[in-house]
Amino acid sequence: MRKIAFIVAIVADLFGLVMPLAAAQGQGGDSQKGVLGPVNALGQEFKLPPAPIGAAPRLPDGTIDLGDGIWVNTRPFSAASSLKPGEELPLLPAAKTLMVARQQADDPNNWCLPMGVVRYSPYPFRFVQNYTHKRPTHLYIMHELMRTFRQIFMDGRKHPPEIDPTWFGHSVGSYDKDTLVIDTVGFNDKTWFDGRGTPHTEQLHTIERWTRVDMGHLVTEVLIDDPGAFSRPFTVRYESTLRPATDDLMEYICQENNQYGFASGVR
Amino acid sequence: MRTELTLVAGVVIASSHMIMAHHSFSSEYDATKTFKVSGVVSKVEWTNPHVRFYVDVKEADGRATIWNLELASPSALARNGWTSRTLKIGDTVTVEGYSGKAVPTRGAARSVVVADGRSLFAGTADDSGAPAQ
Repeated sequence: MRKIAFIVAIVADLFGLVMPLAAAQGQGGDSQKGVLGPVNALGQEFKLPPAPIGAAPRLPDGTIDLGDGIWVNTRPFSAASSLKPGEELPLLPAAKTLMVARQQADDPNNWCLPMGVVRYSPYPFRFVQNYTHKRPTHLYIMHELMRTFRQIFMDGRKHPPEIDPTWFGHSVGSYDKDTLVIDTVGFNDKTWFDGRGTPHTEQLHTIERWTRVDMGHLVTEVLIDDPGAFSRPFTVRYESTLRPATDDLMEYICQENNQYGFASGVR
Repeated sequence: MRTELTLVAGVVIASSHMIMAHHSFSSEYDATKTFKVSGVVSKVEWTNPHVRFYVDVKEADGRATIWNLELASPSALARNGWTSRTLKIGDTVTVEGYSGKAVPTRGAARSVVVADGRSLFAGTADDSGAPAQ
């Protein structure tokens, strides 16, 4: 009996079906129960239809098509989600001190500031490749949350030798067989990896590997290398599923009526 | 057998919904402290990051108060099939939810029932009577 239960738990975890409570804390992921059942304001949960299966579609040139729909993360994740049991994030002392000092009210997301490159969003995103008389030169990842976009240079350019730090950094992309690889440097140190306040510095370098494993499933592995905050690189892995074809990105103007802090007395 | 079925059912439920939230609930609202008020809707703000509605309430001690109540974001509500017309100014409603930590007349709504008995914004994956997606 226990063996079967264990196998079920492992299978569920492999498919990303069980929301890890620890990873669910903070932005976009309070999964705790209150006395009235779920917390979070009414209407935030919705049914996730089964993702389509079958082979991933390809563009005429054979490249895997990432742009034929909108994607959404299957479950909340944190910087520590992909660590093995018993493993801890290799935070350097200064980063650990910073993380401990951070308050939830300081979370940039609570103030409508961007998510950065590695952070769970409960809202969909979409890949858009530009269309030119040459091969596509730019790839954009449009995020519904905060109505933000990332710009990835696909024209073979390198990172500039000196970069003024920004929220999303400087991203160059290429394909490794069927996997989109995005290399980003030039971050500022203002984003949090998760609601726990896991920090990074301007030395952050990320390498994302986006693999559309089938029609409806997208697997992302992000190598996080930041010698200013961590003693070694580590990887965060998460998954997304394709939303129904009838769904599109919707408007999200976070600053419109952000009353964060009033109910808690922060402001 | 019961154990396996329970586990499988748990997995199916976990996969059937997602959490749509912008801000951390726990820093704003108290999951152990609830409210229940009745009154008339005076304003609906179909805005990000959260839809809000305001209810004129006559408290038990006779004071008139205006409650500021939070729902999900417009896009989360829209994906559940609701619109900015679902809740109307002038509706008489009874609202239950979690209380704000600092301001007693602020809350995160978990149940909105109109005078004719209709339950608005309810029926999510974690509630009964989920609407078709």
